[in-house]
Amino acid sequence: MGAVSRPVRRSDEDSRDADLVRRIRAGDRGAVDGLYERFRRPAFALARRILADDVLAEDVLQDVFVTVWRDPGAFDRSRGSVASWVLTMVHHKAVDAVRREESHRRRQARAEEDLARSVPTATRDVQDEVLSRGVSQRVRTALGGLPAVQREALTLAYYGGYTQREVAALTGAPLGTVKTRMLAGMRRLRQELGERAGGRSAGGAVDGTAPVDGPGR
Amino acid sequence: MSPARGPRGADHEHFDELAVGWALHALEPEDEALFSRHLPDCSRCARTVAETSEVMAALAADLPPAEPSDDLHERIRAAVEQTEQVRRPAPPAVGPITQPDDGHLPRRPGGTDSGRPGLAPPWRPTRIRRDGWRGRTPQALMAAVAAVVVGLGVWNVVLSTSRQQAEETAAEQQHIVQALLTPGKATIAPLSSNGHRVATVVVRDGQIQVVTSGLEVNDEASTTYVVWGTSEAAPVPLGVFDVVRPRLDLRTVGSDHTGLDDFSGYAISLEKGRKAPAKPTDIVANGQVTS
Repeated sequence: MGAVSRPVRRSDEDSRDADLVRRIRAGDRGAVDGLYERFRRPAFALARRILADDVLAEDVLQDVFVTVWRDPGAFDRSRGSVASWVLTMVHHKAVDAVRREESHRRRQARAEEDLARSVPTATRDVQDEVLSRGVSQRVRTALGGLPAVQREALTLAYYGGYTQREVAALTGAPLGTVKTRMLAGMRRLRQELGERAGGRSAGGAVDGTAPVDGPGR
Repeated sequence: MSPARGPRGADHEHFDELAVGWALHALEPEDEALFSRHLPDCSRCARTVAETSEVMAALAADLPPAEPSDDLHERIRAAVEQTEQVRRPAPPAVGPITQPDDGHLPRRPGGTDSGRPGLAPPWRPTRIRRDGWRGRTPQALMAAVAAVVVGLGVWNVVLSTSRQQAEETAAEQQHIVQALLTPGKATIAPLSSNGHRVATVVVRDGQIQVVTSGLEVNDEASTTYVVWGTSEAAPVPLGVFDVVRPRLDLRTVGSDHTGLDDFSGYAISLEKGRKAPAKPTDIVANGQVTS
């Protein structure tokens, strides 16, 4: 499952990240600083977006980086990049926290806002677009290119931390439809984002090149 | 095992959808239970989870840049300083550890189980050496070991296809079994919850060990598990411990209580706060001494 035609810079970053994890495995506490420097901004941005609370978001970051230190063996390079490992952990822990912290009522109230935020990012402030970095722009374009219902389902789950059933309730669609939309949306995003989001894995269900009867185990 | 395994044409579309939902941490409990049984045997789904996770990481770049406060870095440094690493393979963790394991298992809605991006080790049964200790081991310890082996089934839901991690997991299991087989007199009490074995208390040499195999991971910030000694009198709190992984684990419970093996039974409660109360609030498992 080799990565095909991945930009050099990206893979450089990947191997630097992987080196940091190797050092952490060897018991080098300083390497946690390196990983923190590298991921603190996207990690914090994500946790804060999900939790809408800076203090809780920082707690999630602390939990994540200490977990990385405590058990770096959980990282398996054959399964993806360090970035996806760290940011997925941030996502899951933030979602767990939001489900613990938020009362049902508050979540309902916030749902409106979350729905509004799932409108195509291209219609947002133009200056915002100009200021955004290249990568970010690419992600926005990819998200903006999704059919509205797919974007809505994915953004509610990813940024909002809603379960599939909650997404179904919020969008007035049957649960089965929501599941289908999430898969279709992911496939499309992966296609759009290409190698940027390619990681090392290929041949799964969101990879367009995968024959459904591809090699299983 | 799940009836539908591996990529099988259109039948598999359902699992493709669940794989995306799993990676997004958005599955309903019943779907999560279903998928967690399917995933260990399906390399296609393992890849789907990995691919989805990569896309999710890229989506984090769509957010307005944000900078955490300066003292967060200091707090993390201090926490790292005080945290021991998990050794893989390693003797079973002893005493409370401050962070939860990130094994990816079914969680209850709003539960405390936390993020691990589909990277937890797969499960392989450990073959226990049949020679050597047989005949020297008390019946009750054999029962505890049997409980461990039965408990191994719980591990079956962990994912990933990494051989290295499979070996490490197997080694971990071996350590638990070996720790239990340490010669000596021991008091054993299997504890059940609604008829299911969820833990085994082993008391020996003035120390309590708990083999957990189904207790939910507790929120270590605000809750703790408490081991109680039960008899005809009121239950006595013996010590506290955390469940840091939903799969099988061996926890050593710190206790300054003497006469730990003076009880006819043991119980485990889940308590708010980090200290044992005078009386158990919510008994989650109990059982009688069998030896």
